[in-house]
Amino acid sequence: MSRKISFKDAINEALSLEMGRDNSVIVMGLDNAGGRGTDGQQDAWGGVLGVTKGLYGKYGDRVIDTPISESSYIGAAVGAAACGMRPVVEMMFSDFFGVCFDQMMNQAAKFRYMFGGKAVTPVTMRTCYGGGFRAAAQHSQVLYSVFSHIPGLKVVVPSTPYDAKGLLIQCIRDNDPVIFMEHKVLYAMKGEVPEESYTIPFGQANVVREGKDATIVAIGWMVHKALQAAQSLAKAGIECEVIDPRTVSPLDYATIIKSVEKTGRLVIVDESNPRCSMASDISGVVAQDAFKALKGPIQMVTAPHTPSPFSGALEDLYLPSPAKIEAAVKATM
Amino acid sequence: MHSTKPSIGIIANPLSGRDVRRLVTKASVFQNAEKSNMVLRMLGVLGKLGVDEVFMLPDVSGIASRVIHALRHGRAAEASSLPRVSFLEMPIRDSAADSLKATELMKAMGVSVIIVMGGDGTHRVVASASGDTPLLTLSTGTNNVFPEIREATITGLAAGLIASGKVRVKDVTSRNKVVRCEVNGNRRDMALVDLAVSTECWIGARALWEASCLKELFISFAEPDAIGLSSIAALIHPVYRSDAYGLRLVVAPPGEGFMTVQAPIAPGVMAPVSVAEICEIRPKEVFRVETSRGTIALDGEREIEFSENDVVKVWLEMDGPVTVDVNKVMQQAAKNKVLVQQHEG
Amino acid sequence: MAELKKEDLLKAYRTMKEIRDFEERVHKEFATGKIPGFVHLYAGEEAVATGVCMHLTDEDRITSTHRGHGHCIAKGVDIIGMMAEIYGKKTGSCCGKGGSMHIADLEKGMLGANGIVGAGGPLGCGAALAAKFKGKGGVAVVFFGDGASNQGTILESMNLANIWNLPVIFLAENNGYAESTGVKYNVPTPNIADRAAGFNMPGVTVDGNDFFAVYEAANEAIKRAREGGGPTLLECKTNRFYGHFEGDAMTYKAPGEVKRQREECDCLKIFAAKATASGLVTAAELEAIDKEVAALIDEAVEKALAAPTPTEADLLTDVYVSY
Repeated sequence: MSRKISFKDAINEALSLEMGRDNSVIVMGLDNAGGRGTDGQQDAWGGVLGVTKGLYGKYGDRVIDTPISESSYIGAAVGAAACGMRPVVEMMFSDFFGVCFDQMMNQAAKFRYMFGGKAVTPVTMRTCYGGGFRAAAQHSQVLYSVFSHIPGLKVVVPSTPYDAKGLLIQCIRDNDPVIFMEHKVLYAMKGEVPEESYTIPFGQANVVREGKDATIVAIGWMVHKALQAAQSLAKAGIECEVIDPRTVSPLDYATIIKSVEKTGRLVIVDESNPRCSMASDISGVVAQDAFKALKGPIQMVTAPHTPSPFSGALEDLYLPSPAKIEAAVKATM
Repeated sequence: MHSTKPSIGIIANPLSGRDVRRLVTKASVFQNAEKSNMVLRMLGVLGKLGVDEVFMLPDVSGIASRVIHALRHGRAAEASSLPRVSFLEMPIRDSAADSLKATELMKAMGVSVIIVMGGDGTHRVVASASGDTPLLTLSTGTNNVFPEIREATITGLAAGLIASGKVRVKDVTSRNKVVRCEVNGNRRDMALVDLAVSTECWIGARALWEASCLKELFISFAEPDAIGLSSIAALIHPVYRSDAYGLRLVVAPPGEGFMTVQAPIAPGVMAPVSVAEICEIRPKEVFRVETSRGTIALDGEREIEFSENDVVKVWLEMDGPVTVDVNKVMQQAAKNKVLVQQHEG
Repeated sequence: MAELKKEDLLKAYRTMKEIRDFEERVHKEFATGKIPGFVHLYAGEEAVATGVCMHLTDEDRITSTHRGHGHCIAKGVDIIGMMAEIYGKKTGSCCGKGGSMHIADLEKGMLGANGIVGAGGPLGCGAALAAKFKGKGGVAVVFFGDGASNQGTILESMNLANIWNLPVIFLAENNGYAESTGVKYNVPTPNIADRAAGFNMPGVTVDGNDFFAVYEAANEAIKRAREGGGPTLLECKTNRFYGHFEGDAMTYKAPGEVKRQREECDCLKIFAAKATASGLVTAAELEAIDKEVAALIDEAVEKALAAPTPTEADLLTDVYVSY
């Protein structure tokens, strides 16, 4: 019997279940408990947006507040993983990866290959991403394409509470370094989530809506915008197939191509900036591998090539919208 | 080049206080920034006493550069009354050799007095070359017995009073005892306070912090309020800097011998040491070290490795460095109203 | 300190000689053009890796630098495999996929040489964190140079290690040069160890050319970490006989500097003199080791030259455990 819980609580549940199952799982990051070294309440925050609240009470020393020094604690998580632990380390905002990217890109991602297959680095890096909060340029980015570019990293972008829980449990059990990306806007979203533990394999896209006229691939929050657009287009007699890749590395190109072979039309909705985006990646692969199936040019719906603006009026123009998606679908026809 | 105007030398060792005692005892950290400040405080008063030139060890990074910086960018009024600071022209090896070379050069320059800032080790190195040049001692390292703990301003003041002739050198200085040693007939280093024979085979990280390896101690002076190896003897039979004799103490295995003394042999450390023998030793009385293999530690630092084939001899001498008694300097200055200008009625 | 018996002295000499001969041989072979990529030689610094690693077991971990051959050998990584790796052969420690800058052997607790200056700091803290959770007294040693001492990762790691009381030793190998610039330019204090006070950690400087000084100080630092006393910054002042990388003409070194260092500061010569003077080992015993080591290095090169190169299939393997 499943009940409806929020995306945030689904993540919390995944962490709690895995910590209960496996002592080598530790949770660490800025304010993941909160209140360390103060005279006030311990577990004061449970993460800046409350995602890890309550874990400290259950698991004590295995929930670790870190000082504001990302290079050192992300790297420590990587090092601990290489030495047999399963750390779940949080990068408070994915925008902060700039200060510690080496530890992910040159260390975690490359150990297994550089060391001839002898290293196992089961580290999970959780991070929040995306716009819609008016958090401005340094707290709103969508960087999964940057991470996906790096061989050795896996990148997971759930769009529902159900997917979030199953994918995060999979991340923790996975033996490779994984970046688990949580869209801030989705934290409050509620959905049906089973109480028990379950996993969702990587590289398996979810066909969220079936349709014969156009394929829309959408990632994260954009899945919901795509569904809105699809609903509206259905009234005009255009049936869209909406595909949520769920993991962008590995990416389930096969499901996308199969859909394009059916519909002949492809729109990709990617909240990131356009250059070297997931949209351009998917476009390139589909154009190469399924060119004959295409009836019209591929359309990419992305944010513009600008930093995220602060003013709400501007951010609303910046973000892909159902209207833009509809227009893109029509443009493939 | 021999200076004819009043000049003094300052040796501020940037390396002192970084040894393994930092790890194995609760020894303090003495920051180089504070050493620079001490030098600047001294320069402030030296200039006002008419000292024309101050020679310093050029340690390139650390103390010297901070001093240079302060001289160039300090308040103009202060800067104008400061003496000229000259850095000796010598290569820097970042070792004890630097302090030794600097001492030789300063002596050759004819400085009136050398201010030494450092621990027992630095003072020992300087003392081995200072000859008759009086030393003003200032403690900055760990575990020190020989140098004084004193506010640098007053040390600078005393230096200035001597250099400018306002106080008579003879009245305020005295020669110190030292313990010397010889290995296979070759004269080696000396100790200002204590020479210890240890069963540790290697010089290694130098410091001596475990009583269990001690066999014998030869002591020039043992003051009851001092820290370090000399305290083992001091708490049984004190000997002062002015006494014309020293001590030899033979360590017994734990619990044996005729007494056990609880001695503060290192910062934060009280160790029980059992004593087989303790006796006074006269100058030039030569002792042969009976231990077949080990190291000789001078003022708490292992310096010489020896084995069965080596003949090690130790004796007390009265011909050590000349040091200034700052209390006497200031008492004389007060008695003779050297720093007082009476107002005409 | 832990007494050094005859077999310990011989072991120390053998390890240092293996490192020295390995590096001298790589220097020679690199000049023939048969070794791909970059190599950074540890010759001159042997006493540091040896004096530290003799206190470590396979359960203890070390992180290393781009100049990692010495750390590898001191930690027990197989020399035949190392040489093959440097030649890019399939029989190499990393199957030819890592090379000189990434030689690793996780089973020996060697978490890899590293091409990113300072990267070992956080990784070592992670290893120490894992050891702390395991609770068996394991430690981690972070080797880093005077150049790396200015990198944010090292300073952040010192902070992290001290607030979490991690069993880690920060081992600063101060060889006086960060690539072509000197430590007196790059570091504002005369000793790297001076920085320890800022992290409320003991900082000690020893003569890195004296095996006994390194061994003794490392013993204290490692003991302290094992007993839960927390991190130490141990600085070993040493010298590298070669350049930053092979091919570096070392024009930034003073004329005669390397010659003087090889004469007066050679840790092998210093060790041999002390060890034989003590009567605990003989010159003949050391010479016997010299011969054995020479033969081992010859064997390593022969095997490396004869070994197969990785194939196209190897190109795509081991990016992930599973994808």
